[in-house]
Amino acid sequence: MILIAIIIGCIIGALIGMNIPTIPYTYSGYLAIAIIAALDSVFGAITSSLKRNFDMKIFISGFFVNAILAMALTYLGQKLNVDIYLAAVVVFVGRMFNNLGTIRRYYVEKLASNKIIAKAEAAIKQANEASKSNK
Amino acid sequence: MNKNRIALTLGIVCVILTIAICVQVNTIKNANSTVSKTFAEDELRDEVLKWKEKYERISNELDEAEKGLAKIREESTKDDSNSTSKEEQITLNNNLLGMTNLEGPGIEMIVEDDPNEIGPLDDIYNHVVHDADLRVLVNELKNAGAEAISINGQRIVNTTAITCIGNVIKINDERITSPFTIKAIGFQESLVGIDWRAGYIQQCLRPAGIVVNIKKSNKVEIPKYTGVISAQYMNLSK
Repeated sequence: MILIAIIIGCIIGALIGMNIPTIPYTYSGYLAIAIIAALDSVFGAITSSLKRNFDMKIFISGFFVNAILAMALTYLGQKLNVDIYLAAVVVFVGRMFNNLGTIRRYYVEKLASNKIIAKAEAAIKQANEASKSNK
Repeated sequence: MNKNRIALTLGIVCVILTIAICVQVNTIKNANSTVSKTFAEDELRDEVLKWKEKYERISNELDEAEKGLAKIREESTKDDSNSTSKEEQITLNNNLLGMTNLEGPGIEMIVEDDPNEIGPLDDIYNHVVHDADLRVLVNELKNAGAEAISINGQRIVNTTAITCIGNVIKINDERITSPFTIKAIGFQESLVGIDWRAGYIQQCLRPAGIVVNIKKSNKVEIPKYTGVISAQYMNLSK
């Protein structure tokens, strides 16, 4: 369900994004950092929805505030001539990897447990048939 | 938390995210950035793009201001026949100097390098359009009575130089390459005459395989000269 929503959202977004005008090159750095922040929020949301502790308020506020904060930091960094945006990129990408790791582990474990359950069910079936033929 | 609502929120957020990514990709693509080797190169490119943007913005402002000025001049000279004729003179002079965007009947000519394969013994030098060719064509158009000429959007004014820098041609300090679109405003019948008369096109360009297409157009648009006209040394003689 969530996966379908994400895919549909991406397709609609791509269709709209292809047809709207571009922004001035000066601001492309800010947009880039905002994209990274938003991506981080989305991965965080997927992880928390898998863990069943997803909170809408935290997600929405994190999505916008993180992006705006990252842009503000980039601006400050430009004024101070320090590449602060690098720190934001490191933090966001680090968290993205953490979240991806959690998602991966969840599905791997689910797959493994599914296999064990299937095996157990097969064994039970066999045992049942054996007992039936013994009768 | 309702699972459908989570899915809906994530979907909407993904729409925003993909829009942002597409805009960013398009912006970077438009900025013509190729993979750069060094950090310094990146910074310089950034700098150039920013200046270019600034320049475009200011030149747009200048355009607006000029339009406003023209309007004010028109209004203030409306009632006075003497100043009206002065105003007309100023407009004519600006048109002749190349300070204004013009339109009118004329021709559009497309000149292109030889599209055919070049033989092993042939020299490519003979099959491309050179700066000299463009100079001769401009001269022929002027001879045919062209009132305003532009090549690839570069207005030919009286200080314009057409020079060769390696494999591109420089007009008004801007680099241009083949195909060249030469536009001219003037008496159409006389302008198209350079196509068939025994002149440069027939005797030099076409035999070398260079493609020349001329077509009449009742609305040729010629942009204004965007450079600076310098008048540092000239004075009126006493």
